[in-house]
Amino acid sequence: MLLRTLTRRHLLAGCGIGVGNMALNSLLTGQLNTGNTSIENGPLHPRLPHFPAKAKAVIHLLMAGAPSQLDLFDPKPRLSKLEGKPLPKSIIGDQRYAFIQQDAAVLGPRFPFRRHGESGAVLGSPLHHLGKVADRLCIVKSMHTDQFNHAPAQLLMNTGFPQPGRPSLGSWTLYGLGAETNDLPAFVVMSTGSGVSGGNALWSSGFMPTLYTGTRFRNGRDPILNVSAPGGFDEELQRDTYSLVSELNRTRHQVIRDPEIETRIAAFEMAARLQVSAPELMDLKSEGQATLDSYGCNPDKPSFARACLLARRMVERGVRFINIIHEGWDAHTDVAGNTRSNCKATDRGTAALIADLAQRGLLDETLVIWGGEFGRTPMVETNPALGRKQGRDHHPQAFTMFMAGGGVRAGYTHGETDEFGFHIVKDPVHVYDLQATILHSMGFDHERLTYQTAGRDYRLTDVHGKVIPALLA
Amino acid sequence: MSTSRNHLSAWLTILLASTTPAQRTIPDQGPSYTRDVRPILSKNCFACHGPDPGARKAKLRLDRPGEVQTTKMLARITHHDPDEIMPPTSSGKTLSSAQVAILRRWIAAGAPYQKHWSFVPPKRPSLPPTSSNTQHPIDRFVRTRLASQSLTPAPRADRLTLVRRVFLDLIGLPPTPGEADAFANDSSPNAYEKVIDRLLASPHYGERWARRWLDLARYADSNGYEKDRNRSIWPYRDWVIRALNADMPYDQFTIEQIAGDMLNEPTPDQLIATGFHRNTMLNEEGGIDPLEYRYHAMTDRVATTGTVFLGLTTGCAQCHTHKFDPITHTEYFQLMAFLNNADEPDFLIPAAANQGARQSRVARANQLLSKLGDRWPDRGESQQIKFAQWLADLRRKAAPWRPLRPRKVTTNLPLLTVEGDSVVFCSGDTTKHDTYKLEFDKRDQKVAALRLEALPDSRLPAGGPGMTYYEGRKGDFFLSEFKLRANGRPLKIASASESYARNRFGSNPVSAALATDGDLQTGWSIADAVSKRHVAVFVLANPIPADTPFELEMHFGRHFGSSLGKFRISATDQARGGHALALGQPTEQLLTRSDDQLSEVDRETLRRAFLLNSPELKKAAEEIRGLRAPLQQTLTLIFRERPAHHPRPTHRHHRGEFLQPREVVVPGVPEALHSYPANAPRDRLGFARWLVSRDNPLAARVLVNRHWATLFGRGLVQTIDDFGAQGAPPTHPELLDWLAVEFMDEGWSMKKLHRLLVTSETYKQSSNIDPERLAQDPSNRLLARAARPRLEAEILRDSFLKAAGVLSARMFGPPVRPPQPQGVTEVSFGKPRWNPSTGENRVRRSIYTFAKRTAPFALFQTFDAPSGEACVAQRDVSNTALQALSLLNDPMMIEIAQALGKNLAAFARDRDDDSKSAARHALRRVLTRHPSPNEVSALTEFLARQRRRFAADPTSARRVINAADAATDNVEWAAWTSVARALFSLDEAVTRN
Repeated sequence: MLLRTLTRRHLLAGCGIGVGNMALNSLLTGQLNTGNTSIENGPLHPRLPHFPAKAKAVIHLLMAGAPSQLDLFDPKPRLSKLEGKPLPKSIIGDQRYAFIQQDAAVLGPRFPFRRHGESGAVLGSPLHHLGKVADRLCIVKSMHTDQFNHAPAQLLMNTGFPQPGRPSLGSWTLYGLGAETNDLPAFVVMSTGSGVSGGNALWSSGFMPTLYTGTRFRNGRDPILNVSAPGGFDEELQRDTYSLVSELNRTRHQVIRDPEIETRIAAFEMAARLQVSAPELMDLKSEGQATLDSYGCNPDKPSFARACLLARRMVERGVRFINIIHEGWDAHTDVAGNTRSNCKATDRGTAALIADLAQRGLLDETLVIWGGEFGRTPMVETNPALGRKQGRDHHPQAFTMFMAGGGVRAGYTHGETDEFGFHIVKDPVHVYDLQATILHSMGFDHERLTYQTAGRDYRLTDVHGKVIPALLA
Repeated sequence: MSTSRNHLSAWLTILLASTTPAQRTIPDQGPSYTRDVRPILSKNCFACHGPDPGARKAKLRLDRPGEVQTTKMLARITHHDPDEIMPPTSSGKTLSSAQVAILRRWIAAGAPYQKHWSFVPPKRPSLPPTSSNTQHPIDRFVRTRLASQSLTPAPRADRLTLVRRVFLDLIGLPPTPGEADAFANDSSPNAYEKVIDRLLASPHYGERWARRWLDLARYADSNGYEKDRNRSIWPYRDWVIRALNADMPYDQFTIEQIAGDMLNEPTPDQLIATGFHRNTMLNEEGGIDPLEYRYHAMTDRVATTGTVFLGLTTGCAQCHTHKFDPITHTEYFQLMAFLNNADEPDFLIPAAANQGARQSRVARANQLLSKLGDRWPDRGESQQIKFAQWLADLRRKAAPWRPLRPRKVTTNLPLLTVEGDSVVFCSGDTTKHDTYKLEFDKRDQKVAALRLEALPDSRLPAGGPGMTYYEGRKGDFFLSEFKLRANGRPLKIASASESYARNRFGSNPVSAALATDGDLQTGWSIADAVSKRHVAVFVLANPIPADTPFELEMHFGRHFGSSLGKFRISATDQARGGHALALGQPTEQLLTRSDDQLSEVDRETLRRAFLLNSPELKKAAEEIRGLRAPLQQTLTLIFRERPAHHPRPTHRHHRGEFLQPREVVVPGVPEALHSYPANAPRDRLGFARWLVSRDNPLAARVLVNRHWATLFGRGLVQTIDDFGAQGAPPTHPELLDWLAVEFMDEGWSMKKLHRLLVTSETYKQSSNIDPERLAQDPSNRLLARAARPRLEAEILRDSFLKAAGVLSARMFGPPVRPPQPQGVTEVSFGKPRWNPSTGENRVRRSIYTFAKRTAPFALFQTFDAPSGEACVAQRDVSNTALQALSLLNDPMMIEIAQALGKNLAAFARDRDDDSKSAARHALRRVLTRHPSPNEVSALTEFLARQRRRFAADPTSARRVINAADAATDNVEWAAWTSVARALFSLDEAVTRN
């Protein structure tokens, strides 16, 4: 991101491999010792992708814990009829579960569904706000993954690999496109639910330079770590300090002549700007009451809705990638109650974000992605020793995600599952395929966006993935 | 080695011819295969024409001699038709004209191959002749190379810069002004060497270098993945510090970490050392298969071993034969097989000091017990009556139990061993659903009931009786089914009882009876009472007749593995069966006797059992139990090689996937590396010795290069973690080899290596940059100046603590939690809070800071420290605005600035010179060097402004120094705190000059 500047070492380590000649040239010819910010230099210099594309920014709403597709997107009347009985053995195969047995009884959909908009998108009743933007959605009912557990599945979704250590989608985006803002981090992460299973590794830059790491915005008044001076260190003192540090560093540079000193001077200048731009970003007073109402957010209280509104403001200010993580969908018990409360927290904000971006003409170049790390079982989870009932266990074979804006096909539903919602019967989309398609929407051939480390070229999609053209506008 | 000689003669040619630039032309002997050709082929051709047969195109290999049709090759790489040209257009790779020219010249010279340089054992090259005034071997190599490029070395750094540099490098702390001046004013010829001696002998040396090693060892104090619970493995961290301080030879250092448990009668320290490969992550999430994550830990171990000791990217061969280096897919798993035959137990470190304490506590417990009756509340009047009632009640419940020795034990995977007294002990791997089958011979008595004793044992997690080691509580178990069969038919169990039952998940029911209901989700567990004996009794609806053999099947596990680790089955023929009692086997036995069968001693035994379990004496009894309990011992994680009769097989896994095991492989080393001694055992210890054998061409080179990079800013081989074909060739191949051989000849001593490196003139050069020279060698590959690296995160914090005068010298022990901003750890699973340590633990050296994998310590992460999730050979070095914000505003930085501010205010108070000498002192504490007058006046002007501000605004002053009350010197302290805070933000404060 922009507030982190290039070091000489990065430059000389040759970290531009695979982005194409243009990026490489800008990396190698960039003059570092201008004493200015890095925007026209180095790894964050804005650059063109492999081919022209619509999406310039991404807002990834990670519904961590895994929402129940069977109660929100993929109605299966057959399950209601079967309720209380086990699924046919042939369907379950050799799948083993963490908390339920293979012969666990079926649980029918917990909510009524209805069609929305001209496209007739089918949504469960807890998503009634989303229904209002149904015609903007590209719903994929045939997502599948090969990870059964939260941390590995979230890591796969965000980094293309089930163990920590690989760069996240946001890092790849910055690596490929650079940054558009000089005053804010270009890759921001917000967490609005409970603690995140995948942890820090979900927004890590992995083996890429650390300047591609996501910057976490905390929920308190001070979103960026240490962006506010502590009590007693008022603005004037802060200004005096910046000026003293800059003066002494400049004096010393005359003697040492290390370009790295200039980079540090620039980093402090950016820090000073950040101390202004971050509060400005967070100050929602300038938003009209109508906007606040549409999101349903209290401007002073951290919430998913507020994070959505902030995400829109970030996109307006040139932030490239925003990951809002809402952990809490892991409904091992009371799937109805869990779904209801999580939808209450997220449905309105999501719908408002899409509508707001559209109304401001930003949706075309902003890709919004919504979804969890896997799905939930058609079978009920009940376990007296754990005090659980009416829940659903993890289900990697089929789940639903949706996207909007940024070059994806609006008013479209992709893929089908069988009558039990267990297996995909039409147009499967693996996590790697989704990632390939997301990169495509940003103008990248996922097989050519590579980064060399430890002797080999790495990709977000490892050796997998294919673009799904049907999802693209 | 001929290559070496060729190089050397090339250098000599250069040297002899280096009178004028015009004469420095080298006669064309063709390009060097190693230096020039192989990197081109590796990068552009080997992916399809290299070692991996699966990826090989046109059956053509270019990675070894004899198969290249050079004319054809030349034609293809220079072809004009885009469909014919190599590398193919679709690969996105192209050869530059310079690269084609190199290949052309190479082919013209006969296309000579050489074994990849790093696989050829290093031999000590002779030292180049010296023309300068330094005889130091390093300088002779470096200066010869410099001269060949018409570069001259930078002048020597001034003494204050040098002493700061060598302090930071060797012990990770700056000198105090006093320590620095002592060196600057020491005119003896060996002044510098004396400093080196002192630093190498300092206990801080181990703390500094252990941190580098812990990056490689992916050390952390939590398990990683979702749950990321705390773990206790800090004794391993302390072992590393101690080993480095003792200058343990690197070969021994390696052997003890890889296979310390297999040494002859290993010491506790040698067991602790095996924590190296226990630093892998542990996934405790409910749905995981523990064996799958054990496999992931194994692949991590192979990759880490490759990076650390071989400098090879062995991990690339997990899924297929390495595309660039000669490691086949099978060889990868053969390497794994060496490491894959260990169990992974907890280790309670025996403390000699504990022994005496334990004895005196037991003695005290016995003393209290002998007088326990005297403490009966109503002077003992009711005691006799209650005792008689108790005895009568328990006699009804007791039964004569006879231990049964199973004829045969089988399981799905764990190993059951029948030990003495018919006790069954479980070891090896456990799964989420373990099944134990025990077959019992026919008996001459009927069986009316069976008793299951779950027994504690120090070999089990948390002392047992269960095997649970993740997700649940250690030492717990979950018996989900207890099933009996005889004559091929299931036997009905009428009732069951247990001595204790508790669920790890709230108040949801668990009991022995629930283990007879046919439901695998319900059963019996003993949460919160581990390390104790527990008993369950199962009464049969119809006794098993005498002379009838029978089988017992027990199922264990919930959403995590939770099998029973040690148990015994007993039977009784007593018609009414019995109840589960937990008074201990001897006492329970006495309950089956009538009064006239009891001796005085027996009666006293029973009376004591009664007293210990009577509600009237609950408190006193608890005191006795507390005294009897084993003392809290420090736990760490180790390897223990499996018994010979129970090896763990290693398979080749197709595509490297856990679920695709193929044929079993035996331990072995890659053919391209040095051979495995024929007479050496093919086990972990043999492998460890092979890694650090004199014949290994890589271990010493890789080690030397890593340390070189730390001290000189970049490696002689720039790719510190890759000495393979894709890695960078060495900038100074002969120097690297000379150092590697010297290192081994000097007994693998890391301290000697450090002394050698820091006493060179190359090390002592100034790091100031001459713009002209910068243009000539921008990344300083040829070492015409010293590097100017930013301080590592931990050194940065420790430096400030020392400058502030508050650094704690306390070493070792459990990790501590210095303050950090709120909300850092809360992002992780369970939103854990970071409760900062108090007192001295806030200012300990950074290596003792608690390392949480999913939410690393904020300041360290901002300054590029790793998370401990994977082996890191070289940290990234960034220079960012977030770092600027941390230096200025992080609460911990403020706390350190307050401490320095307080010292400076006191210093200024004693001197009457407008704070000039205090300002000078401040700069020296942080930067070591003498400041210029301009710098001093900039500081005093800043100080004066802050004084004025705080004098006008005493509240701000109080807030800046967190002062509780209005004191007269608040203003001074606050003003100097502001100064200290600014100084910590200076480029030089965070840089090694």
